[in-house]
Amino acid sequence: MSADSQLATTVAVGHPRRSVIDRAWRALGPGVEVLSSDDGGPLSRTVKRIIDPLVLRLRSNPQYSAPVVAPETAAAMHDLILGRGAELRSAAAWFEALKLERRRQRIRAGNAQELYFPVCFELAVTKGPPARQDRETATAVLGDIHQGRDRTAIEVLHQHVANPDVLARLTDQLERSWRDVRAGDIEAGPFLAKLSTVLGPANSHGSAAARQRVWSTMIADAAPYNLGALARVDNAELPWSIVELGLSSAAPQRPPTISGGSDSDRPLDRSVVDRVRATLRRALDRDALPDIPLLCEEEVDRSCAPWGLLSEDKQATLVTGIEVAVELAPLDRSVSSRYALAAQIQARLRKEAYVLHARRYLAEGGPIHPRQRQVVDDLASYAQPYLSRLWARLHGRDVWQEPCNDVDDVRSLLEGVARSVSLDHRQRIKAMLELQVAG
Amino acid sequence: MRLVTDSGLWRTGPTLSAPPVVAVLEASGAVLSWTIDDPPDTTATQITFTDLSRAEWLWRVLGESGHVALASSLEPVAPDEPRRIELTGVDVLPGSLDLLRRLAVGHWLRRWWPASRHDGIAGLDRALLDVEVAVLTTGAQGFFTDDTLDSDVTELLAPHAAALITHLRSGDPRILHLIRAGTELADEIGVDGLAWPELYAALDDSGTIPELAPQSGRRDDYALAAGVGPGPRGAAPIARGVASVNWTAVPPAIFDAAENTVEWSVEVDGTAVVAVVQAAVIGPEPATGVTVQLRSGAVSGTGVLDADGRATFPLVDTQQRPVTESAAWDHDWSTTAVIIGADVAETRETRERIRRWARARLDRPASDAFLAEIMAAESDY
Repeated sequence: MSADSQLATTVAVGHPRRSVIDRAWRALGPGVEVLSSDDGGPLSRTVKRIIDPLVLRLRSNPQYSAPVVAPETAAAMHDLILGRGAELRSAAAWFEALKLERRRQRIRAGNAQELYFPVCFELAVTKGPPARQDRETATAVLGDIHQGRDRTAIEVLHQHVANPDVLARLTDQLERSWRDVRAGDIEAGPFLAKLSTVLGPANSHGSAAARQRVWSTMIADAAPYNLGALARVDNAELPWSIVELGLSSAAPQRPPTISGGSDSDRPLDRSVVDRVRATLRRALDRDALPDIPLLCEEEVDRSCAPWGLLSEDKQATLVTGIEVAVELAPLDRSVSSRYALAAQIQARLRKEAYVLHARRYLAEGGPIHPRQRQVVDDLASYAQPYLSRLWARLHGRDVWQEPCNDVDDVRSLLEGVARSVSLDHRQRIKAMLELQVAG
Repeated sequence: MRLVTDSGLWRTGPTLSAPPVVAVLEASGAVLSWTIDDPPDTTATQITFTDLSRAEWLWRVLGESGHVALASSLEPVAPDEPRRIELTGVDVLPGSLDLLRRLAVGHWLRRWWPASRHDGIAGLDRALLDVEVAVLTTGAQGFFTDDTLDSDVTELLAPHAAALITHLRSGDPRILHLIRAGTELADEIGVDGLAWPELYAALDDSGTIPELAPQSGRRDDYALAAGVGPGPRGAAPIARGVASVNWTAVPPAIFDAAENTVEWSVEVDGTAVVAVVQAAVIGPEPATGVTVQLRSGAVSGTGVLDADGRATFPLVDTQQRPVTESAAWDHDWSTTAVIIGADVAETRETRERIRRWARARLDRPASDAFLAEIMAAESDY
């Protein structure tokens, strides 16, 4: 064994999160088969759509979301799941009822598990098990899902902004809000310098604690606000071009419109109505959403805020994301990163590009068919799709006031965005080859 | 278990050769790889962790304590930092990777199976293969808690309803069983459009299936593929030869996977000296748009294949001037290379090895063979 090798005899403390869920699930006994896989564990979607959000409620109990949990946390999770046994059995019965009704109505839109699981649990909590002969509830639920609550909300939005008085009031508010944002005389250097800690290697508990301390100061720093305000000033000196980053189609950034206007889908070009529509589309799982007039007013202020985001922690996260994004180039082996986190993401992206090569979707380092040239070139400008998606996630968090104050959460957000952009890119590379089948 | 860093990621298991001999599977947080012609043995699995915290399935493979040990031992590393770690008492549980390996092989078969008319290696039925991979993927959903390149079941099923309707007529119980499983899955995940409503209806009303006349013989993908085109034209060529297609240079399901299937000649066309290239195609995809290059010392040329794998293109010298007829007659063509698709390094031995493996799979289908392989073996008399 070489000198740099280390021998680790780790005493395993704690339990993998999924194994805890799996064991608790099996302890539920019969009655949940439709929510279970062939081996008796919960289906992936059962965990994703019911256990995590509705039983363990990860949003308010982040301790249950760690990949490995401490023994006492594991015990608490186990008890929570078993404590919901009756509801889970009722939810399973509701799922059977809905599936039956789906089949009867010959509905084939959407993934049944994905769409129905949360509703089934909700029904289980509010109604208990389905009553015999109660087909009305199932019919009503399917109608609600497939005719679309979101579409109804979007219609309300369109009616609201079709009112000329509303439009005038929002336009007026927009002009004032836009004027209120001013760049000050604040150096971005110190803020950016701290990123090497926040995006640095995560080795020990000591460094994790230091990282959190630094991040806490960064989200209170005025620099991200100021950079965003500078992005709308002529000849301002920004460390990057918001056009090249894909955040805006013009520099300096232009004031947003209430509706229509630009065809651009760049985050900072999007109209207020477009942004509210996005919020409504993502709101399917939410009970609490402000009413639409309020949502519009708030969105006017948000669209005028620096980076199109109201809270400082979101602005700081976007600036952090920009610094990561400019270092990512999946097919370029020569790139070296200033930040450990960016290097880690880059290493993953390269492995994922290798998977495409191993599957004959790419030749080594380039397209395997000229048809893919455009998509492969897009891969070189990774920052744009990365920042569009990061911005959309931050926008969602800004609307629902979910914080970005936990540095590990922010890091995993930055990693998650890279993961989904990479998947999206690779699916396009695949699709470019498969076009031939149709063509 | 020994873990080493490789390009900034932790991995365990052997170093593997380059594609095409590797079968890979992208699970959440890790890429698993096997050498395609290795005996199915867990020790030969390479696992590269792209994101250990997302590999929430690891306890199924290493046991709970193994999972926890890995999670607490592997620190992120810099791309150029060589590290090694030895974890005692952590091992892959026997059999825990069998399903994943089978899936990886299924994906490999979809992309690399060396169908060849020249070599007599029967093609695999794409609809049956894709449906079986889709059903297996659903069975392995615990490994795909995040969406990955390999978790998309809809995409595997969607194109095949029409082909499956045709297969229903075969009356083969193995096929019926697979189609039922695939259709049930499609129904649940909401695959619709194309011929799916007809397929659902055909299966709902299962009484009608046996009444359909059994089809005589199976649709043979070869029969649909374009035949070899006409040979070189008219007058005797200035030079001629054969070349082989590098598999890693071209998309699948276009070219015959045998050696020496690319016939080329240098001819005079009017006043121009041209290369005429014909690559043997097997389909069902067209060769349209695939590039072809000829290189021979100071002479070169680049063209684009048509649907049937044919291209004619002018040859030029190093200054991009057209090659004259007399210069062409004087040229030594003995070192001519004809390259189909991307410019890659791949050996004939690698391809030979894969063809050997494929023939063995057809001769004696493995216990975990895909139905598409079994059907190909049975048609291969």
